[in-house]
Amino acid sequence: MNNKINRLVIVGGGTAGWLSAGIIAAEHCIDMQGDNPEGFQLTLVESPDISTIGVGEGTWPSMRSTLRKMGISETDFFRECSASFKQGTQFSGWTTGQNDSYAHPFTVPQSYADTNLAPHWQPLRDQVKFADAVCPQTPLFAGKLAPKQISTPEYAFQVNYGYHLDAGKFAEFLRKHCVEKLGVKHVKANVVDIKSDEHGDIAAITTDTQGDICGDLFIDCSGSRALLLGEHYKVPFVSKNQFLFNNTALAAQVAYARPDDPIQSCTLSTAQTAGWIWDIGLPSRRGIGHVYSAAHNTEDRATAELLSYIEASAGKQAAQQAMVRKIQFDPGHRAEFWYRNCVAIGMSAGFIEPLEASALVLVELSAAMIAEQLPANRAVMDLVSKRFNEKFLYRWDRIIDFLKLHYILTQREEDYWRDNCDQSSIPQHLAESVSLWRHQSPWHRDTGHVDELFPSASFQYILYGMGFETQGSATERRSELDAGEKAGKLFQENIKRTQQLQGSLPTNRELINKIHRYGFQKI
Amino acid sequence: MSNYVILNSSAHAKTQVITDRGADYGDNVKYALTFPFEFRNIQSCYPIFFSKDGDTGQFYPIALFGLANNENLFLSDSGWDATYIPMMIERHPFLIGYQAAPGEGDNDTKPVVSIDIDNPRLSETEGEPLFIEDGKPSPYLEKAIARLEAIHSGHEHNKGFIQALLDNDLLEPFTLEIKLNDGSNNQLLGFYTINEDKLLELKGDVLEGLNRQGYLQAIYMTMASYARIRTLIDKKNLQLT
Repeated sequence: MNNKINRLVIVGGGTAGWLSAGIIAAEHCIDMQGDNPEGFQLTLVESPDISTIGVGEGTWPSMRSTLRKMGISETDFFRECSASFKQGTQFSGWTTGQNDSYAHPFTVPQSYADTNLAPHWQPLRDQVKFADAVCPQTPLFAGKLAPKQISTPEYAFQVNYGYHLDAGKFAEFLRKHCVEKLGVKHVKANVVDIKSDEHGDIAAITTDTQGDICGDLFIDCSGSRALLLGEHYKVPFVSKNQFLFNNTALAAQVAYARPDDPIQSCTLSTAQTAGWIWDIGLPSRRGIGHVYSAAHNTEDRATAELLSYIEASAGKQAAQQAMVRKIQFDPGHRAEFWYRNCVAIGMSAGFIEPLEASALVLVELSAAMIAEQLPANRAVMDLVSKRFNEKFLYRWDRIIDFLKLHYILTQREEDYWRDNCDQSSIPQHLAESVSLWRHQSPWHRDTGHVDELFPSASFQYILYGMGFETQGSATERRSELDAGEKAGKLFQENIKRTQQLQGSLPTNRELINKIHRYGFQKI
Repeated sequence: MSNYVILNSSAHAKTQVITDRGADYGDNVKYALTFPFEFRNIQSCYPIFFSKDGDTGQFYPIALFGLANNENLFLSDSGWDATYIPMMIERHPFLIGYQAAPGEGDNDTKPVVSIDIDNPRLSETEGEPLFIEDGKPSPYLEKAIARLEAIHSGHEHNKGFIQALLDNDLLEPFTLEIKLNDGSNNQLLGFYTINEDKLLELKGDVLEGLNRQGYLQAIYMTMASYARIRTLIDKKNLQLT
C-alpha cells in the first residue's frame, strides 16, 4: 500500500484524454529518458479504430490558463486548431420565443468584487438590458468584435474570453504537444482485457498489439462507454433526465458564404420548440447543431427546424449541402468518478448537454485536481478519491442547477417548455435558490466553495436576462447607503468603457487574420 | 494626411524641401523608430525603448522625445535642440515605396523613392532643390536617397535584433513614474525595456552569438541610454517654470 504512484495510464485519446495528459504532465515532470524505475511516467493508450465524437467546440476562459500552464503558444493554438474567440453566449427566443434575446458574457459586472449592481439596475430594467448596463462586453457582440488587439500579449485581454475550436484539430494539436514537449508516451492499440491485482485494483490493461501496460493510476477517458469505470468496475450511471430532457443532438458543419464573412463573438443559442440550436463560428466554418428532447420532438421535425435555421442564416445552398450527424446521449453522470485506482474524466464521467459548454471545463478541473492532489502512494489514494468524488458530485449538481435555470423562467407555451417549468422537474436546491432570489439577488455568499464552477454573476446574467424580478431589501442596509451613488458612477463608466472598446477593437476576422500573419507577442 | 507618389525628375523638377525643424513641419512627435546602427548617436541624446506596432503587434526600437502625446521636448523656437536627429525624422518628406517588378524576385517588388506631396516641407520658393540642371539629383537628394537605403536595411536589421531579444526573453514591459517639480505625478506607459536580470543570466554561446551579430553592443547602448530619461525630465521641468 506504500507503493509510489508514478505510472499513470490514460485510456482514450480524444480531447478529454489529451487535455488530461497535458494538464498532468505540465505539473509532474515525466522521466523522458525512461531509465529511472522510480521516474514519473504517463502513457496514453488510444484505439486506432475509434474516432472521437469531436463536437465539444466551446470553452470557458479557464482554457487560457490551462493552455498557458501547458507551455502552449496561443498563436500556435489559433493557427492549428481553427480557433476563434468566445466571449459568452447570446440566447435568443428562450424567454418568449418572440424576438427576445439576452446575453451571458464572460466578463463579470463592473466592480463585482465589492458592488452588487443588480439592485440598482432594477429601476432601469425597462430602459437597458442588465448585461449591457453592467458590463462593456455584450455590445461588442453585434459588431462581431474581438476581445483584444494584436498588440495585446498572448492570453491577456481587454474583455474576458475563451475559445471556439475545431475539436478534432485540438486533440491532434494537444497530442503533438504532449508527446513532443512534455514526454507523454503515446500507444496506439485497442484495450482487450483488464488485469486486476489481489485487492481489486487495476494492475494492467492488455492491448491487442502492444502487450500489457502496467500502471498505478488509470484515467478512463474512453468516452460514454466508460471502459474502465463503467464496463470493468460497474460503477452505475445516474440519469438526470428527470431534470434536463435533452438527449439527442443533430450536428452539422456549415461553410461561410464568403471566406471573409464575419465571425461571431459568442456562441449563439436559439430556442426551438423542444430544445435549442447552437451556432459556433470558427474562422473556417460554422458548427451548427440542434439538441432536443426525443420525448418532445421527432427526428424529422428536429431536422426540419435545424435546416430552416441554417437556411435562414447561411442560405438555401448551405441547408441543402448540410451533412447532419446524429448523436444520442443520456443526460447524467456516474455515481462516483474515482473508484479504487481508476478515475473517469470526460464523457466517461458523464455528460448533461452542450448548454454553457460545461464539458471541457470539467475535464480541465478534473485533471487539474488530479495534477494538484496526485496521491503520493496507494495508501492515501482513497483519501484523495473520496474528496474528489465529493467535490465533483457537488459540481455536477451545480451544473444541473445552472443549466436548469435557463429553462424555468420561460414563458414559452410548448409542452417541452411547460414540462421544464413543472415543479417536479426542478432540483430542490435550485428551487430554494430561486425562492431566495425573489428577495435578494445572487451574491458572493450564495455559493459554498471558493472554486465554484459558476460565479453568482452567471446566475445574475441568466435571471435578469430573462426578466426575473428581485424585490428590494426588506431592511435599510448600511452597505447600500453609498452604493446608489457608486452604482450610478459605474453605469456611466460602463458606457464610456463600452464606447472606447467599440472604437478600438478589431473584428474577430481581422484579428484572427493578424494572428495567422504576425502572431501574438508573449509580453 | 500623407500622400506619397513616386519621385520623378520632371514632375518634381521645381520642388524644394524646407529643412527647418518645428511643429509646423510635423516634428512634434513623442518618439520615432530607430535602428541599432544609429544607437551610438541616439543614446547620446535620447532614451531608447521598445514599442509595439499597433497594427501588427511587432516590436521596434524607438527614440523618446517627450512624455506626452505630440510632445517633443527637444523642439524650441530655434529648432531641434540636439546634436543628432534620428534618421526616421530626417527622412521626411521621403519614403521608400515598393513598386511591382515582375520577374525580379523578392516577391517581385523593387524599392523606389517616394515623396509626400502634401508635406508642409515642400515649397517652390525656398529650401533645398531636389534636382539640378538636366534633371540630375541635387547633393541634398543624393544624401536623402542614401539615408533611405540605410533605413531600408535598418528595417531588416531590426527584425533580427528584435527576434534575438524575444528568443532570449530580453524584453519586459515597464512603467516609469515621474514626479515633476510642480508636484504632479506622470506615468510613462506602454513601452518595453531590456530585462537586465535575464541579460546577466545569458551564457557563453548565446552571448557570443549576440556579440557576433552586433546585437550585444546595441543592447548595452540601449541600457546606457536610460541616463537620458533625466534629460527629458529636466526639459519638462524647465517648461513648467
